[in-house]
Amino acid sequence: MGLGRYLLRKFLWYLGALLVALLLNFFLPRLIPGNPVDALVGRLSQGGAGSDQLQAMHTQYVKEFGLDKPMWQQFFIYLGNLAKGDLGTSFMQYPASVNKLVGDALPFSVALQLPAILFGWLIGNLLGAIAAFKGGWFDKGAFVGSLFLSSMPYYCLAILLLFGLAVWYPMFPQGRAYSLGLTPEFSFTFLNDAISYWWLPFLSLVLIFIGGQAVGMRSMAIYELGSDYVNYGRGLGMKDSQMVRYIFRNAMLPQITGLALSIGGLVGGALITELVFNYPGMGSLLFGAISSNDYPVIQAITLIITVTVLMANFAVEVLYGFIDPRIKATQGGDKS
Amino acid sequence: MSRLLEATNLNAAYLTPEGREVKAVDDVSLYIDEGEILGCAGESGCGKSTLGNVLALTARPPLYPISGRITIDGQTISLDRENKVPRTWRGEVVSMLPQGALNSLSPTARIRNLVGDVMKAHDAKMGKDEALDRARDRMKELGLPPRALDAYPHELSGGMKQRVITVISTLLNPKLLIADEPTSALDVSSQRALVEMLREMLNQGIMKGVIFVTHDLPLLKSISDRIAVMYAGQIVEVASAETIADNARHPYSTALLNAVLAPEPDTLVKRVEGIRGAPPSLAKPPSGCRFHPRCGLVMDICSAKQPAPVGTDLEFACCHWTAQHPDQVIRVEDVLARNDEVEE
Ligand SMILES: Nc1ncnc2c1ncn2[C@@H]1O[C@H](COP(=O)(O)OP(=O)(O)OP(=O)(O)O)[C@@H](O)[C@H]1O
Ligand code: SF4
Ligand SMILES: [Mg+2]
Repeated sequence: MGLGRYLLRKFLWYLGALLVALLLNFFLPRLIPGNPVDALVGRLSQGGAGSDQLQAMHTQYVKEFGLDKPMWQQFFIYLGNLAKGDLGTSFMQYPASVNKLVGDALPFSVALQLPAILFGWLIGNLLGAIAAFKGGWFDKGAFVGSLFLSSMPYYCLAILLLFGLAVWYPMFPQGRAYSLGLTPEFSFTFLNDAISYWWLPFLSLVLIFIGGQAVGMRSMAIYELGSDYVNYGRGLGMKDSQMVRYIFRNAMLPQITGLALSIGGLVGGALITELVFNYPGMGSLLFGAISSNDYPVIQAITLIITVTVLMANFAVEVLYGFIDPRIKATQGGDKS
Repeated sequence: MSRLLEATNLNAAYLTPEGREVKAVDDVSLYIDEGEILGCAGESGCGKSTLGNVLALTARPPLYPISGRITIDGQTISLDRENKVPRTWRGEVVSMLPQGALNSLSPTARIRNLVGDVMKAHDAKMGKDEALDRARDRMKELGLPPRALDAYPHELSGGMKQRVITVISTLLNPKLLIADEPTSALDVSSQRALVEMLREMLNQGIMKGVIFVTHDLPLLKSISDRIAVMYAGQIVEVASAETIADNARHPYSTALLNAVLAPEPDTLVKRVEGIRGAPPSLAKPPSGCRFHPRCGLVMDICSAKQPAPVGTDLEFACCHWTAQHPDQVIRVEDVLARNDEVEE
């Protein structure tokens, strides 16, 4: 049947995209000039080790990371390890495994962004829809406010919030994710402490997100409000509440895509926000890894981003296939 | 025959963003008897759709009704700027039939959902199944496949979509149906099917009268019992289709329709020759008779004084020349005499 074929075709397409991404993901970082083992050994040499020792270390690292083998062989080893769920070992934070580094960073990024995206999406869409329906002063205020927020650079709002709510009127602590001396764990003390640090970066993200969603939803809803089917529905004596359902369904479609893609991109971390607030999430990890040629970490993060973005896209297409009948018809070819 | 519609002194205007009023329906009165199809003609921008919206009570900003009374089948409503009309009038007493090629149906809802919602809006106790059964029966009566109700709008052909929309518009047996260019996007055979269906529905008494707006003049003549001709926000003439075609009493009707509708062999020549120029801007209509800048029969009085209707409620014309020459036929050539003055 049409929908099944459509989904299968999409799935194969995404599988292909994943393969290409894996290849690029592996080879691109290796094209960056500079040998990471040199850098690593160079750092150790400042500890005062002799040159013979350094030479030995160099050889050992090269061997351990498999850098002495030809590229294609390295690639298959990499694939084999991936299949086992092993993302490798960090060059720079040797001997920490990438799995652990990512495992440490990911929860912070998710805890920060997932609520921001969900709340921002929900509140932003409601605000935009209400503004479109109500019109008048409410609409003007909401629209200008949202436009202002959504066009503000992340760092700008982050710095303003830091200054306003941490320095000028110190409601929240600043500058990290949890107090010095604590270690991340599932305990009341830690979570309670971390939440107080979480608010500022959360606010800086959610406000901008609300703004963006509200602006988008408002224009979608206004467009739908003026459409022929609304006119016709009114002409048939339908209730406003009934019309709202039709309008919402149509105005929502593009917004759902936005939500899925935001969630998909979430694992990449909120780079700027994490840097400004010194938050140990995926953005910070990636940033550090890129500045120190830490291939395994870069690869792991870009791979995770690729996979989640592809998955989110796929999810959107599946969802669309179900909720938008036009797509079902054009893609599945089942016109009656 | 009893009176179905009495619309008197209707006024409605668009409020422009600069705050000016563009009066697109200017003191229009209109009467329809039961069982009639009233055709409505006029160049683009003459206010046909606006009049339709006012009658269907679907005016919404920037269009505001200003004043007037509408009586349909004994029920009366007064128009004012507040525009507070009982919701259930729409669809039950008067209903609109839009052009199906417009996005009159939400692309993400099946037809049957709309059917259910429309019924429920007028009868809260009506269940989905009951509503759907009624729609199915109606479809069968009219020779349409009930299966079409399960489709999404894009799955229907243009002709089928237009007929389904017609069924939805008349689900609640409205007294008066206002059809605004329902055939303009259809091929000839779909047009015929729709027109036949409308006649059939009128005969069955599903609705008691139709106002049919179209630019297709041959179709207009064949479907209409009477024809109303609009110019610059006003009705300048109403008469039976035959009268309008052969012996219109307003120069504008003659210029607009006569050349096309006259059945003589020499129509080919006339058909080419239409009236030049365009209707005036409604923001600043000409004084007196609004047609005077284009009329070949213009007299001194025409720009000074607005002509009053001459005739009956059902057949009248507003023209100084006709009032003064009640027995003379208006010749197309005379009306078009000033075509040379107007730059194309
Ligand atoms: N939103 C608006 N604001 C101001 N004026 C408007 C607006 N919509 C329509 N008008 C004016 O109202 C007049 C009547 O428009 P209307 O759509 O009723 O004409 P119509 O006879 O239906 O034309 P058509 O044959 O093209 O459908 C036009 O002259 C137009 O300038
Ligand atoms: S003769 Fe005068 S009143 Fe009659 S249509 Fe021409 S301009 Fe108008
Ligand atoms: Mg129109």
